[in-house]
Amino acid sequence: MALCRAAERAGRACAALLPRSCGSSGAYSTAPALSSRAGQQREASLRRRGRTSQVVRPHLAPRTEKMAVDQDWSSVYPTAAVFKPASVPLPIRMGYPVKRGVPPPKEGNLELMKIPNFLHLTPPAIKKHCAALRDFCTEWPSALDSDEKCEQHFPIEIETVDYVSAGTSIRNPKARVVTLRVKLSNLNLDEHARKKLVKLVGERYCADTDVLTITTDRCPLRRQNYDYSIHLLTVLYHESWKTEMWESEKSEEDMEEYVWENSCSQRNALATLLRIKASENLSAVTEEELLASEVVKNYRNSVIALKNEGETESNVSQYKESVKKLLNIQAVP
Amino acid sequence: MAAGWLWRRLCQQSVFPGNYASTILQKQCSLLNCALMGTRLAGSHVDTQEPKTNPLVSVSDEPETLYKRLSLLVKGHDKAVLDSYEYFAVLAAKELGISIEKVHKPPKTIERLTLLKSVHIYKKHRVQYEMRTHYMCLELKYLTSSTARVYLEYVQRNLPEGVAMEVKKTKIEKIPEHIKEPVWDTLPQVEETEIKS
Repeated sequence: MALCRAAERAGRACAALLPRSCGSSGAYSTAPALSSRAGQQREASLRRRGRTSQVVRPHLAPRTEKMAVDQDWSSVYPTAAVFKPASVPLPIRMGYPVKRGVPPPKEGNLELMKIPNFLHLTPPAIKKHCAALRDFCTEWPSALDSDEKCEQHFPIEIETVDYVSAGTSIRNPKARVVTLRVKLSNLNLDEHARKKLVKLVGERYCADTDVLTITTDRCPLRRQNYDYSIHLLTVLYHESWKTEMWESEKSEEDMEEYVWENSCSQRNALATLLRIKASENLSAVTEEELLASEVVKNYRNSVIALKNEGETESNVSQYKESVKKLLNIQAVP
Repeated sequence: MAAGWLWRRLCQQSVFPGNYASTILQKQCSLLNCALMGTRLAGSHVDTQEPKTNPLVSVSDEPETLYKRLSLLVKGHDKAVLDSYEYFAVLAAKELGISIEKVHKPPKTIERLTLLKSVHIYKKHRVQYEMRTHYMCLELKYLTSSTARVYLEYVQRNLPEGVAMEVKKTKIEKIPEHIKEPVWDTLPQVEETEIKS
């Protein structure tokens, strides 16, 4: 009985809680203790809604709306930073577009946050940085304005490589390689020393450009490799000036270029000419006179050109002319 | 003429020590403030008789090494990032007065791999991945060692994440003293020892 009456009162109290002002305030104040579970839940939800309606503040306007058009952008992004949509006053959209729509906007856009941005390196910012850094730079000497002058005064070129990459370690084993390049015409070498040096280095010398290239990487540090390459150059230079006893045994196969003196071509030509002169029974001529004569000299030059430079139209025709003059053959009709 | 000159190297006093980002920022900020102050004060009556010497710059008497060529090869997976970086590097070189020889983009390389799609069996179903590497090569001419250090440090600090760089430096040097003349001429005459076969 009492419970039913309590329920009735609770029902009236709940009805009173609705927008109409409740007359039975006493019943209202004690209602929580006596109200039913449904009533309790409704009351709690209303209290929650009431609390949020009191607590909700309007969102702050993003910083972009307060930015002036001529502001100093390098103070907004002084260093490399993530893309902040509220700080960048640009209407950027990025990403795969939704169906029949446009790419997503910049707010909460992961694609824009992932990609490295260059907002801290705008042209005015770069100019400011460079103006500050210019004090630490030095001028290149104006006398060395061409490659030829550089080579004339500084003949040796040292090439080294540095590597920059992201990773667990800043070291790169390829960084210790040192390449030394020098033109042999800049070194103080005579003919014998030059030929010996070329023979000693073998593949490292390029005959077309006259450049000797020494690449060292056998030491663990770059400085050591550089010292080793200079040491190699020194040793090669001094060894090439030395003349060993066995170098006198150099034969015709070892020669770098064709030499006509004391070759079988010279012997054959002289023998043929001597026999011609002997058969014609003219005054005996000596070998020196034959060697000094014009026809033999022509023949010598043409043979040397043929052997050293290879067979070209002009070389072969020159050889033909010299042979005809040597043997006094008239032109074939 | 150039041989007789002694090149002085500019040292940077505690500009790029351990805590890099904050100190470079401070230095830039302090210099920016000085620059701004200078412009503001120029309007008012301040005498600018002597040029302001930068207190951070110190000059040493060591001769500078000369770099005939500096070749930067920048590698990355994203072409747009490399394009922005190229603009930055070229502008920085121009502002610092470095002559640019060539800027070119070698063709990209694509490394592909084919893997099995499933953990166990299903050999006929595979999945293919590829890694694209884009390149950008910047060749600079005629730099001194101070300028090269300044430029490289600036450009390398602002290297974006995911981008790698290789720097090829070609240094030019004189022929060392010991290669000028063969040493055999200067050595005293020594008895030649028998060559043992």
